[in-house]
Amino acid sequence: MHIPDGYLGPTTCGFFYVAMLPIWTLASRIVKKNLKAKQVPLLAIGAAFSFVIMMFNVPIPGGTTGHAVGGVLVAILLGPWASCIAITVALVIQALLFGDGGITAVGANCFNMAFVLPFAGYYLYKGLSYRAAVDSSRRFIAAGVAGYFGLNIAALLAGVEFGLQPMLHHTTSGQALYCPYGLNVAVLTMVGEHVLVFGWVEAVVTALVVKYLQKHFSEIFEEGEM
Amino acid sequence: MFKKNNFIEHSIQGVLSFLKDSIFSEEVALKKGLLQSLDPRIKVLTFLVLLLQVLWLKDVRILMVFYGFCLALSCLSGVRLWFFLKRTWIFIPLFSLFVAIPAIFSFFTPGDAYATFHVGGIKFVITSQGLAVALLFVGRVLTCVSFAVLLSLTTRHFELLKVLRIFKVPQIFVMTLGMCYRYIYLFVEIIEHTYLAIKSRVGVSVHTQKGQRIVAWNIANLWTRSYQLNEDIYRAMLSRGFTGEPFVLNEFKIKTKDWLWVSWVVMVTFLFIFLNAHIKI
Repeated sequence: MHIPDGYLGPTTCGFFYVAMLPIWTLASRIVKKNLKAKQVPLLAIGAAFSFVIMMFNVPIPGGTTGHAVGGVLVAILLGPWASCIAITVALVIQALLFGDGGITAVGANCFNMAFVLPFAGYYLYKGLSYRAAVDSSRRFIAAGVAGYFGLNIAALLAGVEFGLQPMLHHTTSGQALYCPYGLNVAVLTMVGEHVLVFGWVEAVVTALVVKYLQKHFSEIFEEGEM
Repeated sequence: MFKKNNFIEHSIQGVLSFLKDSIFSEEVALKKGLLQSLDPRIKVLTFLVLLLQVLWLKDVRILMVFYGFCLALSCLSGVRLWFFLKRTWIFIPLFSLFVAIPAIFSFFTPGDAYATFHVGGIKFVITSQGLAVALLFVGRVLTCVSFAVLLSLTTRHFELLKVLRIFKVPQIFVMTLGMCYRYIYLFVEIIEHTYLAIKSRVGVSVHTQKGQRIVAWNIANLWTRSYQLNEDIYRAMLSRGFTGEPFVLNEFKIKTKDWLWVSWVVMVTFLFIFLNAHIKI
């Protein structure tokens, strides 16, 4: 899901930086307005949390492992705007310090994983768990469904971004300069692997974590978000 | 994303130990070398310019010159070549190489036949155009990743995060970045200790469903522990004079060496613009 440098052309990278600017500005205004002073460390904790979720190897049938992205989970715990900042910070640290996900592709990665993924997942979760009691099983099922769809929507977007590259950037003889596959291949591959495998990993992890928190720390769902 | 190993053992020996030993140690950033001696602000800006140049390149020969330049910079900065090649080739460029392989065939990139072979009665044609596309793609990804890793290796991490202020990044992001970096180390330690405890109690072989529950419990437990930690940290911040607005000290100084480096990058940039405009692709 993390787009590295060199997969997207400069125009696409620039477009997503520009697209993310108002979102980042709005997110920082909303969070600053709603953030109580004592919640300041919580935002950093949320960012570190969204970073380390990706380090948990989740066992899947067949003896192999995959990992979750955790975008929807962080959105459920912090709220969509705070999660946008937290995931952006996690992605910037990954790109700058760990070389995972490109520096020039930070805008595109943030659009997919810090904006579309948490917002789509969060509002789906809110809709499905509308008026559900704190201990209701509808909540963790909604979290799982939101995790699955949130990740797949983000994967679809990443596929579209990859697939547009041969059309946007090519030589005079038509050879691709960046990601070499068109929409038909890129979208099918990205959506296919996430619908069949990684979406389920995300769903299971999101649902089980919410279920565990409902059982042992239900006050998290009562306190509200940033 | 998939690895054939036990998830507990793999988590301990894989990414957790890699992060602690290689990333957080900042071994290279503390050495004396060319890039370590530059002002972090100048270094980040010039590396961004170099990265953008790599992104704009259309000729694989110039790309290779840039890659060679990156390797030379790593040597001048005291980075062992083999270590640097391992850090930059494994993961993203190797993955990109696999991604690029289908593009060399005529199914995806039609063109002049370079080589032909048959597998199970199906004719496979490798095209010259396909090879050029794949070479440019992998070369670009490799060069970009090498520059990004070199920047990260040769700069102290807290300096790298402080530099973001010159890009007028809102304070809330800068402050969160600085604190987040420290929490990541703490969380990595917590996860490592938890996995070691699980390993010592249940062994390394766990059924898939049980394993998924263990991972979910770990994530939830990490969140609740950190949530509780929040109160203590806030009190510690208050006792150190935190008033709600973050204040960051500025210790950076631009030296003659930095200006020489900037002049050099500017020259390379103009040369690159000239070459890119005169080479017809």
